[in-house]
Amino acid sequence: MRRFKRDWSYRDRTRERRAVYYEEPHSSQWSRGPRIREEVVTPPLRDHAALSSPMASSVDFKTYVDQACRAAEEFVNIYYETMDKRRRVLTRLYLDKATLIWNGNVVTGLEALANFFEMLPSSEFQVNMLDCQPVHEQATPSQTTVLVVTSGSVKFDGNKQHYFNQNFLLTAHSTPTNTVWKIASDCFRFQDWASS
Amino acid sequence: MENWKDEDSRNWFKITVPYGRKYDKTWLLNSIRSHCNVSFTPVDFHYVRKHAQFFVKDFSTASALKAANYQIRDEDNQKISILVNPSFVSHSVLNEFKSEQMEQLKITIKKRYDVSQKSLNLQNFHLDPDLVGHDIDMILNRKNCMAATLKIIEENFPELLSLNLCNNKLYQLDGLSDIIQKAPKLKILNLSNNELKSASELEKMKGLKLEELWLEGNPMCDTFSDQATYISAIRDSFPKLLCLDGQDISPPITLQIEVSEIMKPCKESYKGPDTLKNLILQFLQEYYCIFDYGDRQGLITAYHDDACFSLTVSFKPEGQVPSSLGKYSKSSRNLKKRKDPVYLLKLLNHTKRDVIDSLSVLPKTQHDFSSFVVDLCVQTEKMLCFSVNGLFKQAEGMSQAQVYAFTRIFIVIPANNSSLCIVNDQLSVREASPAETQRAFSTPVYTPSSSSMPTLSQEQQGMVQAFSVQSKMNLQWSLKCLEDNEWNYTIAAQVFTMFKAEGKIPEEAFKQSS
Repeated sequence: MRRFKRDWSYRDRTRERRAVYYEEPHSSQWSRGPRIREEVVTPPLRDHAALSSPMASSVDFKTYVDQACRAAEEFVNIYYETMDKRRRVLTRLYLDKATLIWNGNVVTGLEALANFFEMLPSSEFQVNMLDCQPVHEQATPSQTTVLVVTSGSVKFDGNKQHYFNQNFLLTAHSTPTNTVWKIASDCFRFQDWASS
Repeated sequence: MENWKDEDSRNWFKITVPYGRKYDKTWLLNSIRSHCNVSFTPVDFHYVRKHAQFFVKDFSTASALKAANYQIRDEDNQKISILVNPSFVSHSVLNEFKSEQMEQLKITIKKRYDVSQKSLNLQNFHLDPDLVGHDIDMILNRKNCMAATLKIIEENFPELLSLNLCNNKLYQLDGLSDIIQKAPKLKILNLSNNELKSASELEKMKGLKLEELWLEGNPMCDTFSDQATYISAIRDSFPKLLCLDGQDISPPITLQIEVSEIMKPCKESYKGPDTLKNLILQFLQEYYCIFDYGDRQGLITAYHDDACFSLTVSFKPEGQVPSSLGKYSKSSRNLKKRKDPVYLLKLLNHTKRDVIDSLSVLPKTQHDFSSFVVDLCVQTEKMLCFSVNGLFKQAEGMSQAQVYAFTRIFIVIPANNSSLCIVNDQLSVREASPAETQRAFSTPVYTPSSSSMPTLSQEQQGMVQAFSVQSKMNLQWSLKCLEDNEWNYTIAAQVFTMFKAEGKIPEEAFKQSS
C-alpha cells in the first residue's frame, strides 16, 4: 500500500507544471505534482486469433508496427526517467526472470537486478536514437514481444560521460482494458567499453 | 518601498538562460561576464524548472547581455541562448532591508552566535525581542528575510558549522538554495518544528555536505511509511549524513570498490556451452562473408519470409550527419526524430524480399571480424536474440579510410536444416571513435585454410570464402569458378547455379578439405 500525500495547498502553483509532465526537475518519490508512472501501459492489443483472413494479415502488420512504436516510445520515456530519478522502483519494469547484460556483466532475476541498480551510481541519461520492431510471432509464440533499440549518452556520478547502445525485449501482458509491457531482456553497452 | 525612485524600478530586465539549470552558476556568470564588457551584478539568481533566471538593473547591461545571445559556447560546444525581457523590479530588491535594519539584524545575529562552537541559533527568530523592538519582521520563510540573514552570515560568519532554524514556520527552503555559497562549511542543520511538507525541499540544498540534520516536527516526517524509507529519502539529498534527528544512522556503505567492479565492462558475456557460441560465431562469419564479398541477394536464404529489418544512424546529438554516413541516413529510422507512422512503417522493411533489397543498396563493406563482440541476450527453445558490436570499413566510394562502428541485433529461430533463420534484424551505424579506428583491422582479416592462394588480394580471398559458403563447394573449386568468370561474383554464381542444375559439377567439388 503506497502512501502519497497530495499537497492540496500547492495545487495552484503546480498547475502550470502539469503541462510539462516529464520535466519535473525535483521529482522524488514524495514530490508534489504528478508522479512518474511506474508501468508501461498502452491500449489493448488487437487479438491474434480474431484476424485470420489473408486481407487481415496486411492490416495486422501495420497494427503491430504502430503498437510497437507506441509501446517503445512510452517505455523509453518511463524507463530512463525512472532510472535517473526513481532508481529504487526500476525493477518494477522488469519481469521476474528478466536478464540484464550490462557491459558484458550478466545479472539475472529481480533480486540481483535490485542490488545491481542500487550499487550503480546515479545517472543522467539522454536518449538520441530510438528504433523498434515487432518481434516475429514464431520467435515468441503466444507472447507479443517488441524489440526496442536505443542509443545516446549517459553520465554516471563520479565517472565521465559515455555514449551507449542499449536494446530491450519487451513482452506484453494483456488485460481487457490495457496492455502492460515489461522487460524480458536488457542489454547495455558503452560505445567505448573497450577503452574504459 | 520609499527608497526606490520610479525610473529605477522601470529599468529592470529579466535575463533567462533556457536550460540553464545544467550549468554551474559561477561558470555561467563568469562566462557571461568575460564575454560582455559590461560588469554587472546578477540580482536574485534562481532556477525555474530547467531555466536559469536573474535580474539586471540598467539598459546598457541588458543590451550587452542580449548581444551575447548565442555567442557563448558551453562545454559541449552548444551555443547558450540568453533571453532579455523588461521586467518589474525583482521582489527581493523591492523588499530589501534598509541599511539601518541590516545593522540591527547584524547585531541581533551576533548575539546569537556562539564563537566557540561556530554555531548560530536562530530559533524562533521572529520572536526575538530586539527585532520586534525595532519593528523588523523577521519571517524567515520570506525570501528577503532569509536572503538578508544569509548575507550577514556570509559577511560575518563564513566559518559557520552549525545552524539552528527550528521553530521558524518554514514552509519551503527556496531561500536556502544558495546556502552552499554563503556557509560552505555548514555541517549541522536543525530544521525541526517547521512546516516542511516534503523531502523535495531538501533537494534545494543539494551539494551541502551535511553530517547532522534535524527534521522532526515537520509534516514531511509523517509521510514516510517507515524509518528506513525516511532515512533513505533524506540520504538522497545528503549522502554523507551521519546523524538524523539525534540518531546515528549507519554510514553509507562506500561501495567504491564494488562500484568500479560493476562498472568494469567485459568483452564476453556468454558463459554457456561452447556449441551455442560456435553456432552463433559461425553464423556471423558466414553472414558477413557474404555481406562483404558475396552477392547480398544470396542472403535471402538466411531470412524468414516475414522478416523485419530496420536501420538507424547515430551520431553526436545536435550535430550534422557526417557526410560519410549519408548513404545510411536516408533510411535511418529514428523514432526520436520522426513520428509520422506512415513514414515509420515504410522504413521498416518487412518480408525477406524487401529486406534483401534494402541490404543490397547499402554500400559495400568490409567488416573487421576480430572486432566483433557478441552479447547473447535471450536464449529459448524457440529463438535466440543476440547483439553484435563491431567495426567495419566502406569498401567503395569516397570514404574508404573512414572506420565505422555498428551494433546489430539479430533475432533468429532454428531452421530445418540446422541453420539459423533471421526473423528480426536491427542495424545501428555510427562513425568509429579515434580509439576504435586505431584498433580496427589490426589483425589479418582472413586466414584462408588453403595456402594455395598466396597471390590473391584480400577482396579476392574474401570472395572465395563467400562463394564457398554460398555454393557449398570447397575453396579450390570456388576459386576456380571465380577465376574462370573473371572474378565477377554475380556471373560466377549464375554459372554455378546453371551447371549445378545441369548436373555438371563433380562430387569432389563439394568435398571440404580438412
